[in-house]
Amino acid sequence: MAKAITEQNLCLLLDSLLKEGARVIGPKLAGTMALYEPLAHGDELVLDQLPHRSAKEVFFPVCENILSFERTDAGLQVTDVDPAAFPETVLVGARPCDAAAAPVLDAVFSWDYKDEFYLSRRRRTTVIGLACTKADDACFCTAVGLSPGGKEGSDLFLSPMEGGGYACEALTDKGERLIARYPQLFMDALNVQTLPLAAPAAEKLDMKRIKGWLDENFENPIWTDIADRCAGCGSCAFLCPACHCFDIVDEGTQAKGARRKSWDACGFGKFTNHASGHNPRDVQNKRYRNRIMHKFKYYGDKFGETLCTGCGRCIRNCPVGIDIYSVIAEISTK
Amino acid sequence: MNNAAQKTDTTPIIDTTCYAAATEAIRAEAAKLLTEQKVAVVIGYKAGRRAGTTLPAIITDPAKAAELIFSPACVNNLALYLTKAKKEVRGKGRIAIVAKGCDMRALAGLLGESQIKREDIFIMGVNCAGVKGSGALQVEPLTTGNIARKCRECAVHTPEGADLVAGTIGNLPELTPVEAQELAELEAMTSAERWAFWKAHFSRCVRCMACRQVCPFCYCEQCLCDRNCPQAVETTPRPAGNMAWHIVRAMHLAGRCAGCAECERACPMDIPLNLLNRKMAGELKELYGFEAGLEPVQKGPLAEYKEDDDQSFIK
Repeated sequence: MAKAITEQNLCLLLDSLLKEGARVIGPKLAGTMALYEPLAHGDELVLDQLPHRSAKEVFFPVCENILSFERTDAGLQVTDVDPAAFPETVLVGARPCDAAAAPVLDAVFSWDYKDEFYLSRRRRTTVIGLACTKADDACFCTAVGLSPGGKEGSDLFLSPMEGGGYACEALTDKGERLIARYPQLFMDALNVQTLPLAAPAAEKLDMKRIKGWLDENFENPIWTDIADRCAGCGSCAFLCPACHCFDIVDEGTQAKGARRKSWDACGFGKFTNHASGHNPRDVQNKRYRNRIMHKFKYYGDKFGETLCTGCGRCIRNCPVGIDIYSVIAEISTK
Repeated sequence: MNNAAQKTDTTPIIDTTCYAAATEAIRAEAAKLLTEQKVAVVIGYKAGRRAGTTLPAIITDPAKAAELIFSPACVNNLALYLTKAKKEVRGKGRIAIVAKGCDMRALAGLLGESQIKREDIFIMGVNCAGVKGSGALQVEPLTTGNIARKCRECAVHTPEGADLVAGTIGNLPELTPVEAQELAELEAMTSAERWAFWKAHFSRCVRCMACRQVCPFCYCEQCLCDRNCPQAVETTPRPAGNMAWHIVRAMHLAGRCAGCAECERACPMDIPLNLLNRKMAGELKELYGFEAGLEPVQKGPLAEYKEDDDQSFIK
């Protein structure tokens, strides 16, 4: 049976979840932008703009301790972080380009090493996705095989309706359980009229063809044209729902400290710096080449997926105007 | 707090034909310089895919000169591409570079610090009415409402010291300064209030280092903050490391920063970095009577010691 929820009841749903001790994360105004952040009240939710950062930090925080240590009289005490202690979380208002990234990232985080910091958070999170009725000229989810109404990665999916409120579709057991937990907030909906989906101008690209070209063109001089301008600023990687590189450092003193994992980026100059001083990616266009290769070839080689959901954040925020859609669109014509 | 649009007048500041004139002049000169092999590469701007956007263009083929443009979207400080970090660009040979007045302050600084030789560059200065701020819509003209904050207080609309000056701008309207106002507000705060102000902003820092990467003066081949033997600044995005990073950077830029505000524009978390740099610039002016300008200066105040230097801040 098709379900729907009013805007008021959505707010009530979030307040009820908060009252029961769940962590509720959704787009919230933070200074000059909206960010996916923990909400204190349901009415903090803002759904009229794409959050500036992606939702990946729900599963993959910007910075987290992975263990702590302290030198005591009894010797060096090491305390692990317990992934079982991560809180039950509901991520609400995840755009299709953000929700779809999590199932793509699952592959690398459960590959040769099962990363419980990520996986435990994934298990404990219910994702409420939200369809997009607006798009701008940087959006290109349609180019990479996704859509403004795409349900990949959502447990429950909301589509804005004519006259207000949202049509809801449960896609997984988690989604079903959420509706079952608060049946009074959801209503049966016949003849649901949803608002038209956004229509990004970006045409669908042939990802196989793009990968085919990348397979053969590692040394092509086109990389200098594309990326000599890249400043290596890292904004693209940090705002991207799919980028997941990280650095691990020990911080503190010999007496007391923590081992921390924080976001890293292949665009950084020192990313591939060897202890010997040799750097195989010694100039910026080689580093940008890696970005394209990883997203549109290597991740496909390893896991059969494209490591990009077309959210457009890298395009909007690149200080030197590098347009990843233009890059892959050009490659797809070769 | 970024280069966000001021909600005022929507009258275009200058006629769009002025941009056409600058564009023509740049294209003609670039084609000539490359054809005559007076330069090996021209660094300018070209149109992006998305309407109204531009991006840096690094061209070696005279035929590509026809792609160069100048518009109010030409925000980038192209002096970035002349630094040590961009070996792959510098290695090409003599360079022609399109430069607005604020960019020329960066060029003057790099010349003064012996990072480039004057004979190795051909400066195509542009008479610039201003560029659009971060809040501006892509396809609207430059107005008093959407002009970048730094441009409201510009004193270098007509760059001196260039080899060529492209375009004309005529009379420009008086604009109410915004950065000076924010600086005054900052200076009116107590130490505790100021600490809280910056701490709040830096709590949003994710240590992407975009501010460093787009800055023409952050050209150290090994940034102090990347060293780990020994480590001076923690690299994780946490309060101590974030505060240290921004203080170190502000100190290293004091007296050098050209006020191009690229750091603020590039910051993905909208931290008002130019405000911090303007504050430091103000301190240097007050203590040493020094201001970064269009004249290359060999030794800035923090690179030189004089017997009669003000020492009042040493407590």
